[in-house]
Amino acid sequence: MSDPLLELDDVYKSYGEEQVLSGVSFEMDAGDVDVVIGPSGSGKSTMLRCVNRLTEINGGDIYLDGDCITDADTDVNELRKQVGMVFQDFNLFAHLTALGNVTLGLRKVRDMDKATAQEQGYEHLEQVGLLDQADSYPAELSGGQKQRVGIARALAMDPKLLLFDEPTSALDPELVGEVVEVMRDLAAEGITMLVVSHEMGFARSAASDIIFLDDGQIVEHGPPEQLFENPQAARTGEFLSRLETAHEEE
Amino acid sequence: MGTPESTTSGRTLRARAAGLTDQPLTLLTVGVFWTWLVVRWTNDFLLDGALIERNTSFFPVGPFEAAAATLGALAASLGPVGFPVGWLAGFFEFLAASIPYLPQLATGVWATILLTVLGIALGFLIAVPLSVARVYGGSATRLLALGYTELFRGTPLLAQLFVLYFATPLTTIIRELPAVGTGFIPAQAFWVAVIAFMLNSAAYQSEYIRSALNSVPEGQLTAARAIGLSKVDGIRHVVLPQGLRYAIPGWSNELVYLIKYSSLASFITVRELFERTDAIASETYRYTELFVLAGLLYLALVISASLVMEYVEDRVAIPGLGTTSR
Amino acid sequence: MPPFPLQSDWAFVAGNLDLLLAGTGITIGLTAASILLGFLLGFPAGAVEVYSRGPLKRAVESAGVVLRGTPLLVIIILLFFGLSVSSSAFVTATIALGLRSAAYQSQIFRGALQSVDEGQLEAARAIGMGRLQAIRSVVVPQALRRSVPGFQNEFTIVLKDTSIAIVIGLGELLTVGQNLYQGGQSTAALEIFLTVSLIYFVLTFVTNRSLDYVDDHFSIPGGERA
Repeated sequence: MSDPLLELDDVYKSYGEEQVLSGVSFEMDAGDVDVVIGPSGSGKSTMLRCVNRLTEINGGDIYLDGDCITDADTDVNELRKQVGMVFQDFNLFAHLTALGNVTLGLRKVRDMDKATAQEQGYEHLEQVGLLDQADSYPAELSGGQKQRVGIARALAMDPKLLLFDEPTSALDPELVGEVVEVMRDLAAEGITMLVVSHEMGFARSAASDIIFLDDGQIVEHGPPEQLFENPQAARTGEFLSRLETAHEEE
Repeated sequence: MGTPESTTSGRTLRARAAGLTDQPLTLLTVGVFWTWLVVRWTNDFLLDGALIERNTSFFPVGPFEAAAATLGALAASLGPVGFPVGWLAGFFEFLAASIPYLPQLATGVWATILLTVLGIALGFLIAVPLSVARVYGGSATRLLALGYTELFRGTPLLAQLFVLYFATPLTTIIRELPAVGTGFIPAQAFWVAVIAFMLNSAAYQSEYIRSALNSVPEGQLTAARAIGLSKVDGIRHVVLPQGLRYAIPGWSNELVYLIKYSSLASFITVRELFERTDAIASETYRYTELFVLAGLLYLALVISASLVMEYVEDRVAIPGLGTTSR
Repeated sequence: MPPFPLQSDWAFVAGNLDLLLAGTGITIGLTAASILLGFLLGFPAGAVEVYSRGPLKRAVESAGVVLRGTPLLVIIILLFFGLSVSSSAFVTATIALGLRSAAYQSQIFRGALQSVDEGQLEAARAIGMGRLQAIRSVVVPQALRRSVPGFQNEFTIVLKDTSIAIVIGLGELLTVGQNLYQGGQSTAALEIFLTVSLIYFVLTFVTNRSLDYVDDHFSIPGGERA
């Protein structure tokens, strides 16, 4: 059997006294879509940020495609070329058009010439359905459009793995759909995705596995049917029922 | 994530100055500076030289000269590695050379402070109506206020001083006033400078206050009108108390500017700090020592002003107001 | 008093307009040179204050506090008569105005760099850019645009403060006016200094409008105005 694409092995992270991740381990294979859920402050976003080393871990190892990426001598910029990230608040480059956002990495990191980069940029914008907004600046786009540009920007680097950090939680409810749709398309295309999100619809239909994180530890990890229909841990059930109540109240 | 600095606000600049002024050494220096000034002024102006003769320094020159000589000899004996000691010797030499001039400079500092405080305070009295006219006035008053600020902000302060001093009869008029130039009351040139600083700083202060008034949400005045206040009363009791607090950081900058620009009064013969320094320097040819000393005295005044304004800002602060000016 | 002082005084000013315009030329040259020097030193200084740690940052900050806390008059005199950095009044005035402007420009750029959201740098790092590269291609372009209004202010301050170079006898606009008054016709004081002031006013006005244009031209569509 080949190596898993991503492996977290007993990962610890603390900020001073505060322990954020306490021995997190899991694996995912190429083509998997894993959705991480859990209460706020449970360490979901931190875990995600450890994978592309925007946050440095204190203990354990992380492997990408068999290579340990948490070694001191790992070139983080090389790593980040292979791991894309989509941010909660988009972080689109405010001074660049949608196309500029998508092509900046191709030109400055991949050293592509302008014409080739733009050609690819257009393709990726088309992939997220925003070809017609290529020349718009971030401030001229809706939240949903911004996030789709954010996804195109990450896709452009042709990553082995895409990280999504609560991609829809900064969006107005009516704009969530367009982003989730794009994510569903990507999942169907076989792109490996690690997603922190409480979009239960997406989790149920697109996820290979659900990871329930609480208090810095993985409480439960399994296919969606198991977690949603027949949770093994009491805490998982409680959390999910609270989520559902919250949704009904909306 | 990110450093606390990344949450930039209008306060950042001041906070950075605070970083410097928080240091105990700075506080100590400012404390010594003001103790010296107050004792000096009391002796010279109020006690008529009772503690020590006027123009005689409190500090003896001898020990500093001796220290400089000893350190200089030590530096020479250490050879090439002695340069930090040599530097220290130079510092003592500087102190020894400065001491005889300190009394005269203290008198200059008094004039500088008086110029600045009068200029900014009188300027403030003009600036408030000026800024209210800019924000709430009709089109004619608005234009008038705009013309005033643009004119005074668009020309050099030095040129304004020259116009008032050389080209208007202001000097003659003030000279004729009773008591001018006698006893504690400075001569006419000083008052011309005060008038120039007042007019000039009113224009700058009104800009700070205007943008502060604009940052008070419109709903505040609407709510004031809704409880039955007239527009003028609403501005006075609701908008201005908030706006003036927003204006403090900008206003502090203006105070610092005015301390420094008060040195321009020397061009019209006002005997303030710069003029005193220049007069001594042209007699003694010790330009470097004297102007470094003057620079340090100005710096001490500027840092003192920042400290006072920080204190004022803290004292008048209202929770949730003006702290997030982003 | 001459029979028709007003008329002849304006005629005196008009007759010496060429001298005043030559002084204006020096004022403009001095402003441009000082702003340029201030930018070359001030921009890196601002970046150091934001991105560097340790002794370099402290040195830059202290130099800034001293330069911002001392009157320009003192700086000019010290450089000319004390340290004698140059025998040329123009060079000395450029260094004094440039250093002082650098201290202020560094604060403009520091504020602008800090106002760029931290997420921008993070997103740039996330697509594999090195720290320097991310700062250069993502943070700096945004910061430069945001610093235009502050820069505008600084530009006019330097323009007006070139008049202080009168103290070392540089033949800029105000000095020319002063010479016309003291060495020429003393009754023409009002006419001379009003004309000088008017020229300064035109210069600051034109500068402000041009930089407004620059601000509009480089602003990001839909983006907040700094």
